[in-house]
Amino acid sequence: MSESTTAILEAAAATETQSVKLSMQQALNRALDEILSNDPKTVVFGEDCGQLGGVFRITDGLQAKHGGSRVFDTPLAESGILGMSVGLAMAGFHPIPEVQFDGFAYPAINQIVCQIARMNYRSRGTLPMPITLRVPSFGGIRAPEHHGESLEALFAHVPGLKVVSPSDPHDAYHLLKYAASRPDPVIFMEPKSRYWQKGDVGTSDGGTLTGARVVRPGRHLTLVAWGAMVARCLQVAELAAEDGIDVEVLDLRWLKPIDAEALATSVGKTRRAVVVHEAPLTSGLGAEVAQLITQSCFDTLKAPVERVTGFDVPYPSGDLEDEYIPNIDRILLGIQRVLEYRRG
Amino acid sequence: MAEISFPLPDLGEGLIEATVLDWLVSPGDQVERNQPLVELETSKSALELPSPQAGKVIRIHGAPGETINVGEPLVVFEVPDNTAGIVGTVPQDDAPKRRVRLSAVLDED
Repeated sequence: MSESTTAILEAAAATETQSVKLSMQQALNRALDEILSNDPKTVVFGEDCGQLGGVFRITDGLQAKHGGSRVFDTPLAESGILGMSVGLAMAGFHPIPEVQFDGFAYPAINQIVCQIARMNYRSRGTLPMPITLRVPSFGGIRAPEHHGESLEALFAHVPGLKVVSPSDPHDAYHLLKYAASRPDPVIFMEPKSRYWQKGDVGTSDGGTLTGARVVRPGRHLTLVAWGAMVARCLQVAELAAEDGIDVEVLDLRWLKPIDAEALATSVGKTRRAVVVHEAPLTSGLGAEVAQLITQSCFDTLKAPVERVTGFDVPYPSGDLEDEYIPNIDRILLGIQRVLEYRRG
Repeated sequence: MAEISFPLPDLGEGLIEATVLDWLVSPGDQVERNQPLVELETSKSALELPSPQAGKVIRIHGAPGETINVGEPLVVFEVPDNTAGIVGTVPQDDAPKRRVRLSAVLDED
């Protein structure tokens, strides 16, 4: 943990405040620090996670505090990082590996899909895989190829994996601690473009960590999003309000399993829905969300569920990512299509 | 603010040390990425070492003539908490811009 984070936390403890202002980086760093302190079986590792403290400083200071046998660097080999996680989990450890960037997960797909996801099933419950795989995910930081991809649909399709993505520092802190406490493997997708924005991190998780969360209530239409798109949808909701449209923003948070009840409750009320994601359209998670909404709200829906997504192309280089990631106008146009729809 | 230490890298293939010839920056200096920090001499050559990152220099290790081992601290930087990672940039939260306006007759049946 960096000195500044420690100072902020100590100041908060001294004044007995219920929340502190942290960036998502600092919130994740604090969560890892506490997990390592509270669970001697936890080990944290990945490329540059040890001495450097991670390319995004998420593991900053953790090796110095908890030692090189619990927080350490690995070779540049994702198959090895995840393969080692399998062995550690078999031996009773609780690994929290990092794949440095989303696009680096591909070399470890065999370990994730063929071993981690199904070892518990294969062993009739005798070899659980309590692994939390941290993956800095999605685009928005002008990075080169393999540094801006959205793999949620790929992971969500694999039986045995759970997938979660926080959208703000408070959720990042509590969801990481929750994920690490689970007996099942969790893919923890960190929205890297939101690492630096600060937010209040409360001491209480509110008791609602397992499902979706309404981040802005509204009457006319539900925007469903996760990760970095939640902040953008909140901006869109403010702009829509100027035009008299009251938009609800639902942060899905868990992408496997999806909180179908929260979708039914929200869209049951608003009767209109647009799902927004950075990943390409075809076979994206938006299709799954649209089906779940249709299943529960078919009789009352005012229009088919719209999807506003990335395009069916490889994630572009940084200079073009503003053209790829759903922007405010594309989301507003999606809302307009739903508002204009008339039956028959 | 956070501190980031820059240890002396291996400047050749398998070199274990380097000797400081002259510092080109002082504590308190704000430096840019790739700005020359120090002139060093190894058993192979003398060279200028560029900065791996932008930041404020707060400590330098080794006076001219002194030898530093690879992996030992050379420069300590102070950087803002919102410093970008090694790859990419920090996105700015600009005021939202729009061209599309919504128009709808909402039947509230």
